[in-house]
Amino acid sequence: MTLLPRPVSVALGWFTLAALGALAVLGLWVAPSDAVQSDAQRLMYLHVPAAWLAYLAFFVTAIGSALYLWPRTRAMVWDHVAGASAELGVIFTGLTLVLGSLWGRPIWGVWWAWDARLVTTAVLFFLYLGYLALRRIPADPDTRAKRSAIAALIAFVDVPIVHFSVSWWRTLHQEGTVFNSELSPEIEGTMAFTLWFGVLAFTLLYVYLLSKRYELAVVEDELEEAELELAIAERISEPVGSAVVRGAP
Amino acid sequence: MRYAEYVVTGWVLTGAVLGGYRLWLAARTRRARDLFARR
Repeated sequence: MTLLPRPVSVALGWFTLAALGALAVLGLWVAPSDAVQSDAQRLMYLHVPAAWLAYLAFFVTAIGSALYLWPRTRAMVWDHVAGASAELGVIFTGLTLVLGSLWGRPIWGVWWAWDARLVTTAVLFFLYLGYLALRRIPADPDTRAKRSAIAALIAFVDVPIVHFSVSWWRTLHQEGTVFNSELSPEIEGTMAFTLWFGVLAFTLLYVYLLSKRYELAVVEDELEEAELELAIAERISEPVGSAVVRGAP
Repeated sequence: MRYAEYVVTGWVLTGAVLGGYRLWLAARTRRARDLFARR
């Protein structure tokens, strides 16, 4: 079982690769360098899309978890979607942190600061790393899915905290810029286009990787079931009382 | 390019992480399918 039909998945893979290639050309050569930050600002075309995709991935995890917990919609498909999306979210959050650090060093002068946005993002990363670890603890599929779903919904509370941290506290990290109507200077046309193109390319990548990770989750599930059936069959075929005979004096 | 060491590191690292993850997914799927086929 797959999320996307195979021809669609193949086409999406190539289309995503082309979009990421075009993003590299736009971000590294076509877009002008920033008047204040110079070329260091070119990291924005990866940092911002990665951060937005982390939000999206954790939102999908929360939706999948809620749908699993609600008895009317309970199905393993939602657990698989939640787990697959969380893994991608962790990767995008990790990238956001590393790219932010690489951007911060030349502009802020530090690799890391105990800033509200940075700290809450790091907490988000570790929360979902814990969620992925929780999913690996052996249990029957329903128990594992239920406890993972509850953990995912609790972890999701940090997403709005990360997003609004720059408004709620005085931070080194800048406030929201793109949708901030209070800011008078507008982002330059090519820069804005490259940024939105980056968000689009990363979204395509997310959909493509989600479909692939979901495929793996289904195969792993089938494998686990087959191994369990095999273990039960082996146990049944053992001679009755063999364990007692081995332990006897 | 000014700050090239940071910019290039960021772009190369992103490509390596995302490309590496795609390859890791493919390897994990192939291994799981092989194990399933042997059952």
